Amino acid sequence: MIRLPFVLLFSAFLFSAGVYGVLARRNAVMVLMAIELMLNAVNVNLVAFSSSLHDVGGQIFALFVIAVAAAEVGIGLAIVILLFRNRASINVDEVNLLKW
Amino acid sequence: MIGQAVLPTPELVFEPLLPELVLVVFAMAGLLYEALAKRTEAVVHLSIGLVGVVLAGGTSLWLWDWDGPATVLGDAVSADRFAVLARLLLLVVAALGLLLGHQYFARSGDEQRGEFTPLLLFATSGMTLIVASADLILTFLALEILSLALYVLTGLTGRRAANEAAMKYFLLGAFSSAFFLYGVAMAYGATGTTKIAAMALALTGTGEAQALAVLGFALLAVGFAFKVSAAPFHMWTPDVYQGAPTPITAFMSAATKVAAFGALIRVLDVAFQALAWDWAPVVWGLAAASVVIGSILAIAQTNVKRMLAYSSIAHAGFILTGLTAAGSAGIRAAMFYLVAYAAMTVGAFGTVMVVSGRGEKRTRIGDYTGLARTNPIAAALMTLFLLSLAGIPPTAGFIAKVNVFSAAIDAGYWVLALIGVVTSVAAAFFYLRVIVLMYMQEPEPAAPSLTEKVGIGAENSATAILAIPAAATLLLGVFPGVIVGIIRDASVLRW
Amino acid sequence: MGPHGSLVSVVAVGLSDYLPILLMAVLAIVFAVASLGASALLRPRRPNRPKLSAYESGNDPVRLPGGERFSVKFYVVAMLFIIFDIETIFLFPWAVTFRQLGLFGLIEMAIFIALVFVAYVYIWKKGGLDWSATPPELMDDEDSDEPAAAGEVSLGAR
Repeated sequence: MIRLPFVLLFSAFLFSAGVYGVLARRNAVMVLMAIELMLNAVNVNLVAFSSSLHDVGGQIFALFVIAVAAAEVGIGLAIVILLFRNRASINVDEVNLLKW
Repeated sequence: MIGQAVLPTPELVFEPLLPELVLVVFAMAGLLYEALAKRTEAVVHLSIGLVGVVLAGGTSLWLWDWDGPATVLGDAVSADRFAVLARLLLLVVAALGLLLGHQYFARSGDEQRGEFTPLLLFATSGMTLIVASADLILTFLALEILSLALYVLTGLTGRRAANEAAMKYFLLGAFSSAFFLYGVAMAYGATGTTKIAAMALALTGTGEAQALAVLGFALLAVGFAFKVSAAPFHMWTPDVYQGAPTPITAFMSAATKVAAFGALIRVLDVAFQALAWDWAPVVWGLAAASVVIGSILAIAQTNVKRMLAYSSIAHAGFILTGLTAAGSAGIRAAMFYLVAYAAMTVGAFGTVMVVSGRGEKRTRIGDYTGLARTNPIAAALMTLFLLSLAGIPPTAGFIAKVNVFSAAIDAGYWVLALIGVVTSVAAAFFYLRVIVLMYMQEPEPAAPSLTEKVGIGAENSATAILAIPAAATLLLGVFPGVIVGIIRDASVLRW
Repeated sequence: MGPHGSLVSVVAVGLSDYLPILLMAVLAIVFAVASLGASALLRPRRPNRPKLSAYESGNDPVRLPGGERFSVKFYVVAMLFIIFDIETIFLFPWAVTFRQLGLFGLIEMAIFIALVFVAYVYIWKKGGLDWSATPPELMDDEDSDEPAAAGEVSLGAR
């Protein structure tokens, strides 16, 4: 039996790693991956709560989150490709037409 | 061995979800038309969109007298009058967005995009769904439906500015969604449910899980503050509002606020009502930061769209000011403000669209110099909307501000009301500056008159669309009573 | 998760549950290192150009400013794949409990599949599944402020 606090700590660590990735990375695809890491950290959290509460709702929610994350990746990649075509760069630093 | 017993499934009561179903069906019809037709006509797209919005509005109206259960489909969708009123407001904004977008693509020189109508309908369906959502899972899904559609709409023209705006909106939006989601997970862990009614019951007890719930609320607040563009989570707003095509800015500045505030109201006043003492300071802080930052930074702007974006941050603060009053007093003030704000912001951005001309070349504040000479109708409309945004009587903005300030004072937050009044006075400066430029100065000799550029016909039809928000702005300012009764009926959340 | 006994014992008991995971991790690392090491020692080394290219399917990768090498086409395929792939996570639980869910499940799934199907028709008709086609807008080079195609996702290598 894995104890709930360990899993919550693990998920908090994953989430923080994702936040760090978003703030520190300069490549749009890397930022996207960091955001996915954050979503998956939440999934860990949801499944852990679901198992400790003996309630299946959290697991269903996790399925929805997976689907939403996929849709986000789809949109994100499309925007990045378009940006690459327009600018030949996907570094968020170089996106400077508007004041950041 | 898996049993063959019938699993408990929710009763099939689809009626309270009809507006969303109608919108999605018409959005798919638009997609199929775009994909299968040999040659697509913009007018057909517009008609598909408008018929969908009108039908969705009709079904919403029918739901006003819904006497079935308060929540349906496994307590996930709420069927109260609050949802109906918010939906109707959203659908009106969507119709205006469709009409303005049609005008924009017809004359801006950008290639016509058949995806505009379906995407706008999808975004609207997410928005109408989120204001009726009684389950945080559904709230999250609706938030993503509207956000994903808006990310694409922002970058729809493929111009570099729009493209960059889309990427910033997407990255920061997805980032904030993750925080929102983490908050939902925490609230779920604290209460064992994602349904807001059950959550409210679980939190009324003396539960030891309240610390987790407060943490969850804090994370949820980050997500909501981002979506309504409240400071200090507003950084994306100026870039996105400036970079996006103007009709889309008009649509999302009004509709996203209505949708996100609708969901926030349900979360504050139902799910976390037992924790009102914990969330009130958070809302207070967001409101104060938004009105101050929005009003001060707007003064320094040289681009009209950017200035209106900062103004929208300040207005998010004013709405939050009203929401510090828990319960239906706060809901009434916020709802009235949302109606007034939707009218004036769609109108203001719509006028910017009319003035900016082909390729959105003329969006600097300097371009408005002497507008009263070159285009008196646009100047008059802009004046009306700016006066309303500044909160000067007899416009809707004035009544709306009075309402939120008195709600905050009644709830004991007179310091916040004072901050709001002071910043309103300061903010009047940058609205009035534009009016002075339009009326008191001669146009630059090089500036061509607008009618030369786009032709009388296009000019008139765009102005005719703007007559709707203009009429609403004036009507609500002079006779606010027409809507007060409706809002009072809609301010009671059923759960 | 209340405080039963001292913190140390709680942690110790909790950690002992992780022993199988630790063993699994150690085994995985040993296996990976051993198999890569063995093949490096045993294999002949005769590199040539096709073997060293990023993809062996015959597509020349696009050079990106960052130095990574891959064809943009793969992004599009990955995008479409992810979206349709993920839909199965909803189909699978429904298929398992099809009989128990009855009419409700059938109606919900019909709506869901109709949505996915419309998306599929749209992508197909817009050329998103067409591998060989190179859209004309990709032939000309960066045009600074001209609108590029935004709606459809069909892309080709340059």
